[in-house]
Amino acid sequence: MIKEKLEKILLKVQKPGKYVGGELNAVIKNKDEVDVRFAFCFPDTYEIGMSHLGMKILYSLFNSKPYIWCERVFAPWIDMEEQMIKNEIPLYALESMDPVSEFDFIGFTLQYELSYTNMLNMLKLANVPLKSSDRTELKNIVVAGGPCACNPEPVADFVDIFFIGDGEEVDLEVIELFRECKKSGKTKQEFLLLASQIKGVYVPALYEVLYNEDGTIKSFAPKFENVPEKIEKRVMMDMDNSYYPDNFVVPNVEIVHDRAVEEIFRGCIRGCRFCQAGFLYRPVREKSVDCINEQCHTLCRNTGYDEVSLSSLSSSDYTQIVPLLEKLSSWSVDENVSLSLPSLRVDGFTEDILSKIKSVRKSGLTFAPEAGTQRLRDVINKNVKEDELLDTCKVAFNGGYSTVKLYFMIGLPTETLDDVKGIADLGQKVVSTFYQAENRPKGKGVRVTVSSSSFVPKPFTPFQWEPQDSIDTIHEKQAHIRENLTTKKISYNYHDADTSFMEAVFARGDRKLGEVLLKACEKGMRFDGWSDCFSLENWLEVFSECNIDPHFYANRRREFTEILPWDHIDYSVTKEFLINECKKAYDNQTTPHCREKCSNCGAMKHKGGVCFEKRSSLV
Amino acid sequence: MKNVRVWFKKDDQCRYISHLDLNRVMIRAIQKSRLPVWHTEGFNVHPYITFALPLSLGFRGERESMDMRILDDNLKLDVIKDELNKCLPNGLSVFDVTEPKMKPGAIASAKFKMRLSCDEYSVEELYTKLQEMLNSDEILVDKKTKKGIKKIDIKEYFKDAKHYDTENDVVIRVTLPAGSTTNINPTLLVKAFFEKYSVEPYYDITRVDVFDEKGRAFE
Ligand code: SF4
Repeated sequence: MIKEKLEKILLKVQKPGKYVGGELNAVIKNKDEVDVRFAFCFPDTYEIGMSHLGMKILYSLFNSKPYIWCERVFAPWIDMEEQMIKNEIPLYALESMDPVSEFDFIGFTLQYELSYTNMLNMLKLANVPLKSSDRTELKNIVVAGGPCACNPEPVADFVDIFFIGDGEEVDLEVIELFRECKKSGKTKQEFLLLASQIKGVYVPALYEVLYNEDGTIKSFAPKFENVPEKIEKRVMMDMDNSYYPDNFVVPNVEIVHDRAVEEIFRGCIRGCRFCQAGFLYRPVREKSVDCINEQCHTLCRNTGYDEVSLSSLSSSDYTQIVPLLEKLSSWSVDENVSLSLPSLRVDGFTEDILSKIKSVRKSGLTFAPEAGTQRLRDVINKNVKEDELLDTCKVAFNGGYSTVKLYFMIGLPTETLDDVKGIADLGQKVVSTFYQAENRPKGKGVRVTVSSSSFVPKPFTPFQWEPQDSIDTIHEKQAHIRENLTTKKISYNYHDADTSFMEAVFARGDRKLGEVLLKACEKGMRFDGWSDCFSLENWLEVFSECNIDPHFYANRRREFTEILPWDHIDYSVTKEFLINECKKAYDNQTTPHCREKCSNCGAMKHKGGVCFEKRSSLV
Repeated sequence: MKNVRVWFKKDDQCRYISHLDLNRVMIRAIQKSRLPVWHTEGFNVHPYITFALPLSLGFRGERESMDMRILDDNLKLDVIKDELNKCLPNGLSVFDVTEPKMKPGAIASAKFKMRLSCDEYSVEELYTKLQEMLNSDEILVDKKTKKGIKKIDIKEYFKDAKHYDTENDVVIRVTLPAGSTTNINPTLLVKAFFEKYSVEPYYDITRVDVFDEKGRAFE
């Protein structure tokens, strides 16, 4: 029994509370009364996975069906992993404490390329064969979704089914199909062939890839008739009527984002050229004020959370933001619930909004100009103007704020050392703005944090063909920023270039990388998103043992004509549009956002959302 | 406004959460219950609660208590109990709500039940070894104090401990100093055992009750 074995080891590990389940609102069913058991695996720690909205939505949705029991599984941290191996405890699910190997579905959400090793390691800890071809029966069907599923190829050997796009409908359709196939005694192959007919389903085993001598793809085609050549994403267009949980599992131990979360819209109108999410989730679809208000209230009541976060890719782009905040305040103040608005944009940060949020909680001020000069911001289509940013800072300083965080990326296409220096200059200007603000907090100094991450070119963005800067170049640029910072009021920190390099390799990888991942897993590599565990040296060793050059994936410029590993996946945004955007970037030309002008990206075919909103410029 | 003392058990999954986590879980349960509990004022508003005596992570607690202030003097104590129970996770359950009779500062000792077992020895061997240790002249062990690590002799504290073996483990019942002045954690015995025999027994410890100076149950 797993439970008895656990009792002996739990006091030897950090934060044992995350390995025992039993939280408020966790769903317990009788396993004999359900037809399908689904192990929802998050390939990272409990603290991170439990903070993830997508998992909460699907967990509740699946469990709303009487015939499905969905349970949660997280990657055990290294101390726990060691104990589990030593005591022969297989990976188990938190609700029933049953081994993951007993489940019909083993589902992963792929949020980050460097969690691929965790996915494999979790299968290994579950004693489930890693390769799809080694799992021959109609059980332990490994499925995966999430943003990284947009280029499924590096993990295509391990996953039976990928869900492309919004999961709310397609996941249930596949589970329902499985239930029928199990009842009628179909084989796994029969099930997979039937599943491939469902829109939004990609079954990698049903396709064949051929390569050119230089390692690029020669052809990619279905192996069987009727298997679709292109896999189109699924989209939930009616957000008000899409499933949203009225309840979250409330963790007993502290997690990263420990609060209620309400999704206010999906997608982003902006089209920043480096941002994958901005293209994957098109078109923008909003929920109504009433719907959000009701869902927020219900969630807070059912969970006991005293904070609700309004989540989206760019919260101030919500068309009804002020009425929404007003409506929420009508009960949140009385019930001691505070509102938080992450991902605010600089130009959306008006005094009106500021006062609404501040009245409840004063949080730090963060901006993401992403690039240091206007030219480079035009290249990446990040529509942030310097004077706007400084004006907003001034408003905030006068309103009592004294700390500002600025986020940048280095290694962007066309970037020069002048652009890099611009990062330091902008930090400097924020400091000066503080001292010009008449009502700044007295007796306090200003603290500005400048952070830089390294640019990772991603599939389905206009920069999907771009080479990534070499690690050495990134280091030079980091040094250049440091040299140009002259005041102690600014602190500079940067994201490790080594991890960004591996992220770039897997983001645009092909099926050949399956071998690399397999070898990495054999060597016990996991938690590569954590600096405690990541080692570039180990990775380079694995690549050289597999005779694969990682630079081929990260640092090579691709031709527009090259067949890309993810070309068979269709996120509605056309390749012509992306090529055009890329060319405009080279010309320092910006593209207006969806509400200013439609740029005909292709997402209009979903017949709704922002593409069909009335534009003020058209009146 | 009246003060109430909420009595609860901490067991099952919740024995694995820290005191800080317990605090957060209770605050959320109160928020969810919508009971009229007095909140702290100021910047970070939250229900005001205080625990009589923190319980170590991993211990079960059979008679734990938490104080809070109820804004509505007419609210029935049973209602508080029932409403809170609806909002607590598995492993935390309120069994009584009373008006406090003693101050938490009055607590002077706590009674524990320890279950010990290990892979290296049979229950009988473990029992014999423990007996040997408890009968020796001194039981020295490192104790973490504010001033660093100090060797202390715990013989004195365990002289009245009762122990016996069952089918699966050795059970020890002991009352130890607890509260604001001296605190002797029962795991010190486990540590002493490890220092002496290089074997670390598994332990399952329950705090059964807490008492004042005169040995009266805390109320
Ligand atoms: S079709 Fe036009 S409005 Fe719709 S998402 Fe694309 S660019 Fe925006």
